[in-house]
Amino acid sequence: MHIDRYERAWLTAVGIALGAFAAAMAAGFILFGIRLPSPVARINPNTFAGTPYANPGIKSLGGGRYEVFMTAKMWSFDAGRDSGPVGVPPRVKIPRGSEVTFYVTSLDVDHGFYIEGHAINLEVIPGQVARATVTFMQAGEFNIICNQYCGVGHQVMYGSVVVQ
Amino acid sequence: MQLSKETPAVLPVLELPRLAMLRDERFLVGAHIITAFAALSIGALMGPFQAFHRAPAFVEAFPDATIPVFSYYYQALTAHGTLNALFFTFIFISGFSYFMVGRSLRRKLWSLPLAWAGFGAMLVGLLMMLFVLVTEPQRSSVLYTFYPPLIAPPTFYLGLVLLVLGCWITAANVIVTANLWRKEHPGERLPLAVFAAVANHWMFIVSSIGVAVEVVFLLLPASLGIIDRTDPQLSRVLFWFFGHPLVYYWLVPAYISIYTVLPQQAGGKLFSDPLARVAFLMLMILALPTGVHHLFADPGVSEVNKAIHTFFTLLVSIPSFMTAFNIGATLERAGRARGGKGLFGWMFTQKWTDPSVAAQLVALILFISGGISGIINASAQLNITVHNTSWVPGHFHQTVGGIVALTYIGIAYWLIPMIRGRALFSKKMALAQVYTWGLGMMLFGHTMAEAGLAGVPRRSLTGISPFLDEASKYWLNGAAISGVILLISVTLLFTNLVLTLAGSPKPLADVPEIQTKGDPRSPMLLERWGLWVGILAVLTLVAWAPVFAEAISATQGFQILRFLPTGVPMP
Repeated sequence: MHIDRYERAWLTAVGIALGAFAAAMAAGFILFGIRLPSPVARINPNTFAGTPYANPGIKSLGGGRYEVFMTAKMWSFDAGRDSGPVGVPPRVKIPRGSEVTFYVTSLDVDHGFYIEGHAINLEVIPGQVARATVTFMQAGEFNIICNQYCGVGHQVMYGSVVVQ
Repeated sequence: MQLSKETPAVLPVLELPRLAMLRDERFLVGAHIITAFAALSIGALMGPFQAFHRAPAFVEAFPDATIPVFSYYYQALTAHGTLNALFFTFIFISGFSYFMVGRSLRRKLWSLPLAWAGFGAMLVGLLMMLFVLVTEPQRSSVLYTFYPPLIAPPTFYLGLVLLVLGCWITAANVIVTANLWRKEHPGERLPLAVFAAVANHWMFIVSSIGVAVEVVFLLLPASLGIIDRTDPQLSRVLFWFFGHPLVYYWLVPAYISIYTVLPQQAGGKLFSDPLARVAFLMLMILALPTGVHHLFADPGVSEVNKAIHTFFTLLVSIPSFMTAFNIGATLERAGRARGGKGLFGWMFTQKWTDPSVAAQLVALILFISGGISGIINASAQLNITVHNTSWVPGHFHQTVGGIVALTYIGIAYWLIPMIRGRALFSKKMALAQVYTWGLGMMLFGHTMAEAGLAGVPRRSLTGISPFLDEASKYWLNGAAISGVILLISVTLLFTNLVLTLAGSPKPLADVPEIQTKGDPRSPMLLERWGLWVGILAVLTLVAWAPVFAEAISATQGFQILRFLPTGVPMP
C-alpha cells in the first residue's frame, strides 16, 4: 500500500510522541511512585459495622504518617468527631509534612473524593474501599469535594483538610 | 457465507437523481434526521441554562431564575445528556447510515420494513424518555450514565432498551446490505463511506452488549422491584465496556462526512482512500480495549488492568492523527487549487462562507484542543488531576459537542434541504450559527477546563456551592458567557431548520455528490470482515476478561437504596 513520504514522517513523529507519553507514564509510576487506586477491600453493607472502615477518624501511625478513615453519604462526609460535630462539613486537621492515607467508603450511592491542589481523586463506590496516599507539604485549608453526582444535594457535599 | 459464483444478469441498481430523493428514501431518512434534530432541540436548549445556573454571578443576580421545561437542575442535566448524547446521535447515525449506504451502493436496503421497525423503536424510546423525565423529575434524574445504586423508574431504562434495539436493527441492515452488494460486485471495494459504516456498526454491536447486560440484568429488574440488590462497581465496568466505543460510534459518521463528502465540497479529492480505511479499521479494533481509562479512579479495578487499557488508548489516538494528516493534506491541496499560496495561504482560501464546509472546518479546529485534552485524560496519572472535574465536560464539548455535533449540523445543512426538496432557508443564518457555535464551544471548553483545574466538580449545581474559591467562580462565570453565545447559536440553528422544513422560497440548487466507488488501490485484505471482527473480539476478550473477573469476584450483592429517600426537600 502506498504511503506518502510526508505521511510516513508524520506517523513516525506521532509514534515517537506516543512512545514518549508512555515512557513518561512509566517514569511517573516507577520513579515518582504515582499510583492509581486499586482494590483494597470489599465491604458488605450488612456486616459493615464490624469493619475498621465503619469508625471514621484519624489514626496516627507515628513518624508523620497518618491514616484517615472517612465515610460518605448523601450529602456529607464524616471523618469522626475530632473533625467537627455531626452535620457540619468535617475539617480534618493534619500537621504539615504528613503522609496521609485516606480510606473512604460510601454508605449509599456513588460519591467522589477530591482534595484541592493535591493528586487525590477517588470514586467512592458502595461495596468497595477507596484508598489513596498523599503528602501535605503546604500549610492551609484545602477543600475535600464530592465530584461524583450523588443526588439533589450533591453541590453542597464537601469538607476540608486543614494543614497546620 | 458462501459467495455465489455467478453474477446475477441484472444487478438491482437504483437510479438516484442527484438533487431529488426517492419516496422510500425521503421518508426513511427524513423521519430519522428530523426526529434526531427534534431531540437535539430540547437537549441542546438545556445546555446554556445549566451553564447559567452553575455560575455564582448568575445565581446571585437572578436567585429566582429557573430552567425552562426541565426546571430542576439535575433533571435538565439528565435531559441534556440523554437527548443529545444518546437519542440525537443514535437516531441521526441511523438515518445518515441509511442515506449513505443507499446512495453509495445504489441499492435497496436489505429490509425496509425492518428499518421502519427500528425507527419506531427509537421514536417510542425517545417519547418514553421525555415522558419519564417530565413526570418523575427526581427519580429519573440519574444522568446519562445512570450509575446505580441510583435507580430510575422502569420507563427510563425501557426507553434506552428501545433506542439500542433500533441501533441493532440499523447495524444489521447496514452490514447485510453491504454484504449483499459485495456478493453482487465481486472483486470491488466497498465505497469508503459504507466501509466505515460497516466497521462502526460492528463495533457498536459488540460494545453495546455491555450496556445491554447492565440494563437488562441489573438495572431494569432492580427498577421493577424484581431484585433488591445491585453491584455498583460491576455496573460501572459494564457501562464503560460500552462507554468508550460509544464515542467512536459518534465520531465515525462525522469522519464519514469529513472523509467522503468534505473533500468534494471543499473543491478537492481525498488524499488517501486506503489509509482512511486503515484508520476506520483501527478505530473499530481498538475502541473496545480502552474503556478502563474511564475507571482510573475506581477502587475495584487493579493497576495492571488500568495500565493495559492505557496502552491501547494511546494506540487508538493514531487513527485520529492519521485523519489529521489525511484531511489536512486534502484541504491543503483544495486550498492551493483555489489560489492559496505560501505555507498557510491555503487555509484562507477554503470555502469559509459555505455553511456546510464551514461547519466541518470549525468542527476540525475544535477537535484539535478536544483531541489533545483527550490524550491528557488518557494519561493515567494526569487523569487524577482532572477526573470528574469540569475539565471533562470542557473536553467533551469540544469533541462530541464540537467535531461530532457540528459536523452533523454541517451535514443537516444540505441533507435537510434535500429531504424537503427546497433550499436552506438562510445561508447567512447558518454561517452565523456555525461561527457562534465554534466560538461558544471554544470558550466553554477553555473556561470549563480552567475551572476543573481550579477544582470545580463536573455535574454539579455549583452556582449555590459553598466551597468555591475566587478562581473557580471566575471561570464558571466565564462559562456562563459562553452559554449566552451558544444559546444564540442554538436559536439560530432551530429557527433555520424549522423555516427550511416549512419550505424555503428558493429552489434546491446543489447538494454534494455521494461517491459510489471504492479506491481499487486499496488492499483487498482490508475487506476481510471476518478477520477484523475476529481480532476485535479477541482483543476485547483479552483486555476485558480480567476486569470482569475482578468485578464479578467483588460482587457483594449491595442493597439498593432508592434514589431519593422520602422526605428530602428539593433545593
